[in-house]
Amino acid sequence: MSSSVMEARLLEKEGDEEVYEVFIGPQHPASGHMRLIVRLEGDVIVGVDPDIGWVHRTMEKLAESKEALKAIPLLERMTIIDSQNVTIGYVRALEKLLGVEPPPRARYLRTLLSEINRIASHLYGMGLAGIFVNHSTMFMWCFGDREVWIQLAEELTGARLTHSYSVPGGVRRDLPQGFKEKALKAIRYMEKRLDEYHRIFFDNPQVRARYEGVGVLKPHEARRLGVVGPNLRASGVRYDARLLGDYGVYDELEFEIPVREEGDAMSRLLLRGDEIRQSMNIIRQVLDKIPEGPILAEKYLRLIPPKLREPALKEGRIKFPGIFANLKLPKGEAVARAEMGHGEIFYHVTSDGSKKPYRVRVVTPSFRNVILFRYLPPGHRFMDLPAIYGSLDYFPPEADR
Amino acid sequence: MGLVSSLVRLVLSPQFFGPIVFPGLVTVLAVLLSIIWVERKIAARVQMRVGPLYILRPLGGAIQMLADGLRFFFQEFIVPETVDRVPFLLAPVVAMSFAMLPFAFVPLAPNFKPYTVPYSMPAFLGLNTVIPLTVLAMAWGSNNKFSIQGGIREAYMTIAYEAVLFISAYSMALLYHTLDFAEMVEAQKVPGILLNPISALVFFIAMIMSAGKLPFDIVEGEQEIVAGPFTEYSGIAFGLTMGIGYVQLYGFTLAFTLMYLSGWEPLVAPLYSIYPALGGILLFVKAYLLLVFIVFLRAVYGRYRLDQALRIGWRTLFPLAIVSVFLSIALGVIGVV
Repeated sequence: MSSSVMEARLLEKEGDEEVYEVFIGPQHPASGHMRLIVRLEGDVIVGVDPDIGWVHRTMEKLAESKEALKAIPLLERMTIIDSQNVTIGYVRALEKLLGVEPPPRARYLRTLLSEINRIASHLYGMGLAGIFVNHSTMFMWCFGDREVWIQLAEELTGARLTHSYSVPGGVRRDLPQGFKEKALKAIRYMEKRLDEYHRIFFDNPQVRARYEGVGVLKPHEARRLGVVGPNLRASGVRYDARLLGDYGVYDELEFEIPVREEGDAMSRLLLRGDEIRQSMNIIRQVLDKIPEGPILAEKYLRLIPPKLREPALKEGRIKFPGIFANLKLPKGEAVARAEMGHGEIFYHVTSDGSKKPYRVRVVTPSFRNVILFRYLPPGHRFMDLPAIYGSLDYFPPEADR
Repeated sequence: MGLVSSLVRLVLSPQFFGPIVFPGLVTVLAVLLSIIWVERKIAARVQMRVGPLYILRPLGGAIQMLADGLRFFFQEFIVPETVDRVPFLLAPVVAMSFAMLPFAFVPLAPNFKPYTVPYSMPAFLGLNTVIPLTVLAMAWGSNNKFSIQGGIREAYMTIAYEAVLFISAYSMALLYHTLDFAEMVEAQKVPGILLNPISALVFFIAMIMSAGKLPFDIVEGEQEIVAGPFTEYSGIAFGLTMGIGYVQLYGFTLAFTLMYLSGWEPLVAPLYSIYPALGGILLFVKAYLLLVFIVFLRAVYGRYRLDQALRIGWRTLFPLAIVSVFLSIALGVIGVV
């Protein structure tokens, strides 16, 4: 980082003996699966080194060692709270390699689950932001209300967290009966709850005192550091991978990308609340507009033996034939981007023509945001560190892959 | 026979009954066991949870803290090699002792004082000021970076709330023309909180700061410094350090009731005629309700930052405490009391 703009933020000087070094993590109530090496002068932070890699699980290498389809359940373990959004990019990259497009109904269903997952992911982040200032009620409320969306996802996919819902060419299951009513009920509940969140948390003078004006990230710094997701949009930069129209049906729906100008920790939290409202708006539109039709591309439906094909289409549950796991990936490369709850995820899949991908490169949003731990806290009080951490919605297993 | 009756006389004497039975040791333990359960139940209620449940299920897990306390007793007490053993081992015991001692100065009913001095209010507050010093000893003796951070926070917080606590209490002494709790209660024709609400507010906030409860649990700041000065403690010593804040808070709520909520008045005469200390039942009920309100704050607030708490202490509470002194003098000049 040669930019003097960013270096101005780093207060620590080489060989300074006045500093007090504190190792926060990896075994610490609030460190997560990482370590922060914090240097203090008095109560003021002069340097933070995020020490990552404690939960590195060789995701990329493992993905190369198995058939392309089997990597989907593997990769969703990176961000288990957001498993549809974390794998949709990989599925899109495979689809580009295989030259197959999902039917419209499957694209709507993918969008539906993406937004359900985004809400659950944001609630997770907001809950942690609560407990980082010891606000246990926000923590419990968010995690309790997250259950609503997890159950909705379970209804749709059959799994609470590890959905493995999107597959090349479509999705695994059709919309269950009565789903629309349940989803609308969940939306009504969540709208009511968001107002209650404001009363107990966002408008609470104590919370505002802790989060307002803390960890301000200016737009040019955010661009320079390559920050993604709500952390970027809270700094006034309107960028969202959903706008690219590469996946889902976002180009057919009307929704806003919430942007806030302040760039402080409070605006990052409030932005997540705004995004939950927009996601619920998207879910409503998806449920209204969803077309009838198959949920798997014609090319792959034909792989299913005729005896099984009819019941599968009738029930809306596809049991894959063994041959589906042995698809040969044509030689070539493909890239795909998707917007997760934490930000943009990027996949680069290279194939040498065999069943297994030759190389799977993943750039996760948390990995791109981890740099903020170095640049945001210097100059703040030690007690601001958890507030900044909480506002970033950083997810260590995702960054470490 | 002579031995039994003299034992009964000893137990029922104010000098023994006050500090050891009520409102002292035995009651303190009962309050400690119940208030933590109440705190967890209230927080659970607000947070759509159940809270403690499985131990004594018919009463909703009411003796959960007894089980936790037993576990503390039988858990290994680890003394790390690097600690300074004398302050490390001594400080929690001294802290608990000094948290218990102020109860010797709490009058329970007319003419029922455990320890008869005309200065029970300053004695009560003065004994409480020893506790921060023991916390500093714990922090220093632990020889741990988080502990020392916590110790420094304790030192900052102490100077922020202690002066305020004393000034607001002395403003009431000015109002009532006495330094004795019992005479203060007798002087309150109208509850003190109505006479001098500023002093009551300041004392209330300062006592939460002193006990380190939310939104001022800065010394223990779990999210930054693990458990602050208590990081290295385990077993029963950790149990003690956890209990100190609650014991202190219970003592302060008694003092608050005596100074601002007219203490045991209106006196429950039938109970008082059976045994004078039972006349203090209303004092206890008021103090306990206040305690419940304070632990309820945990479900509403998070934690303030150290510098924000100091700012509240110095820039808001300190001037208010001075104002409360002038208010008391003014009321005295008018001749309200």
